[in-house]
Parts: sequence; structure tokens; C-alpha cells
Amino acid sequence: MGEVIDIHTHPAFFEPICGSEGLLEQRRQALGLYKTGTARLEHIHNQMQCAGIDRLALLPLDLSTQENQVIGSNEEIRLLVELDPQRFIGFASVDPYRPDALDALEHAFGDLGLAGLKLHPSRQNFSPASELLDPIYALCLRYNKPIIFHAGLSLEPNTTMRYANPLEFETVAARYPRLRISLAHFGFPWVRETAALLLKYPNMFADTGLLYFDSAREFYEEVFTRMLGKYWVDRSLRHQVMFGSNNPRFEQIRMIEALRNLGWRASTLDLVLGQNALEFLG
Amino acid sequence: MFYHKRNTVLTSQYNQFILITEEVSAAVEESGIRNGIVAVTSNHTTAGIMVNEALECLESDIDEALQRLIPEDHPYAHARILRSYGSTAGNPTGHLKAMLTGYHCLFPVVSGEIQKGEAQEIYFMEFDGPSQRTYSITVQGE
Repeated sequence: MGEVIDIHTHPAFFEPICGSEGLLEQRRQALGLYKTGTARLEHIHNQMQCAGIDRLALLPLDLSTQENQVIGSNEEIRLLVELDPQRFIGFASVDPYRPDALDALEHAFGDLGLAGLKLHPSRQNFSPASELLDPIYALCLRYNKPIIFHAGLSLEPNTTMRYANPLEFETVAARYPRLRISLAHFGFPWVRETAALLLKYPNMFADTGLLYFDSAREFYEEVFTRMLGKYWVDRSLRHQVMFGSNNPRFEQIRMIEALRNLGWRASTLDLVLGQNALEFLG
Repeated sequence: MFYHKRNTVLTSQYNQFILITEEVSAAVEESGIRNGIVAVTSNHTTAGIMVNEALECLESDIDEALQRLIPEDHPYAHARILRSYGSTAGNPTGHLKAMLTGYHCLFPVVSGEIQKGEAQEIYFMEFDGPSQRTYSITVQGE
């Protein structure tokens, strides 16, 4: 079996970048994770080992203009990567409304060496198809960096599902066919729309960070064998679906176990659990 | 006299047996209490305290029995998002297993020694790991 990559995790509570009680409480409220505690890196390693995960993609969130806060800066992400370069893949975040957004992103890619960009249209309050984003998309193309978009339901405060329907992203996929973009959470509840987009646009990916009802095994069966056709991922979308947990909101160990029980071919599981993420990362 | 200590343990497995008898004995000695009671309590609802014989075969049997009684694949009502946490409660088996072991144990202390049987050992029982866990050791007496 190949490398296992979790393409969607939030490091806001990792001890090296969450060093005070005040910051911990601020991040709890900001992310709507009201009882999550600070996590030592040793605990993160234990969790990864137990789930059989080799590497984590770390996603920050820049809310400078909307909420006057940054939930993990690009520099903090770089620090975490430096602490454990074998296990961590650092993503950048930028608030598109920042006057220096392009400079900040260029710094994140060029100087900090971050691997991609995370954007959250429904919380950062922009339409993915807006012209405001064109220079950012162009910069991602110039650096050959992918974008993970939040899509679908979010349990975070100050976040509606406006700008979260997967169809919001079709224009971007069509306009920038060489730009690799991923729809987080498989765009739940619009998973059929996400599947349709993946079918049409080979530059679109989606991650499995959805566990909004039931146990992981029950919910993945519901989504991947009933809401979607039982064979759709295994036959048609196998090169575009990536394992992502959305940890710490959801649980890596039981989610990965549930994916292994969906009846996909072993080669499909290898793709979903790691190879597609490598392709996405470029 | 009253003595209280909190120990933290970083567990590394989903379900894990961790022997803590030596830590409890050391706490009793540190307390200076010669005659009284020692209580060991878990601070969690998905991790318990168990007293049993520390044999590999028994650990295997106990683990297997708990899995048989409380299987992972079952339609538990607790499998849902909890608004007060903002995260998934995917750990009903942890709660139920901890209910079976209980969250504490109690031993007499006489002449500075824990009065336990030859075969009795104290375990911290992880049922929803890996995690950072805390248990308390409380000694009361004179």
C-alpha cells in the first residue's frame, strides 16, 4: 500500500502555535470547536500512527478583513512544517480583500515554500467566480499550486452556505483548466453536484471530510453508496477523490476505517488514500 | 491528612491497557499517610480504571470480551454531531466500555502499604485513544 495523506486538517490547536489559554479559547470560539484542547505534536503523531496516516495537509484561515483574526498564520504553518517536514504539508491562506493579498500569497509560496492555498468563500465572503480572485488564481498557476476551497455545509460560526454550493466553482474550473482545485467536504449536502463536476472537469478534486450524521461507517455508506451510485467513485471518479478528515472536527481513525469498508478496489483505495493527493499537490 | 495528585498520560492506541500500580504505590509513599484509603479515579467518560491480573492472555480476553459486548458496528444513538462540542461524537463504544470497567478503584492503606491481593494490578483503560488523559490519586488517612 502506498503513502496515506490526509489532505484536510486544521492545525489551529497544535501546541507550538496555540500556546496560551486565551488563544485556545479564541480559536475554540472562532472554529466552533468548543471543547477541543491543545494537542501536543506527540499526540498528533500517535493519532496518525493509529489511523495509518503518513502525512497531514495543514490548512490555516486568514480572516483579516472580515473578522480581524487569523486562525493560524502562514508563518505558523511554516513553523509546523519545519518542526516535522516528514509529516506535515503546509498550505497558505489569504484573505482576498487584503490590500496586500497578492504579496502575502507570493511570500507564502516563494519564501515560505507552502504547498497550496486554502480559501473559504462562504466565511471570507467572496464569490469564487469574482474577478477579485483572478490575480490569485493566476499566481497559483504561476507557482503551480493547487487550491482547496471550502464547499458545502460549514459548522463554523459566521458562515452560511452562500458561496458554498459546488456549482459556484464551475466557472473557475472552466476558466482555468490547468488550475487544480478541490472541493472540501465533497460539497455536502450537494454531493451529486460535486460528482457531476468531477465527471466533467479533470482539474477538479474533492475530499472526504464529511461526517455530519451517524457513525463514519454509516455516513460514508449513505453518501458513497446511496446518495451517489455505489460504483461512481470506484469506476469514474477514482482519480479525483482524496482522503481528508477535517480533523479535529471529525475523526481520522474511524473515517479511514469506514473508507476501507466501502468495497472499492484496492487500487482505488490507494488512489483515494494518497496517490490522488500527490497528483493534486503537483 | 489529605493528599491528591493528578497524573497525565498520553495514550497511543484506540483501546489501550496501561498499568499504573507503580504510580499509585509511589503516590501513597509520597503522601506520607500510613493508614487510610487510596482512591484512583479517571477524569474521563471514555477511559476507565480497572483492577485485574496483569497477564497478556487476560488482557487479550478482556479486550475481546469488551469488543464482543460492545461492537464498533452498531447503530448507537450517540453517533452524531454534538452542538455543544462542535464535533462528532464517534465514541459511543468508549462510553459503554468505560461504564463496564467503572471510573475508579479503592484500596485500604495499612502501615504505608496498599492492601491489594497478589494478583491485583491497577490499570488505566483507554477506550477512545489516542488522547491526552488525566487520572487522580487521592490518599486520605493519618
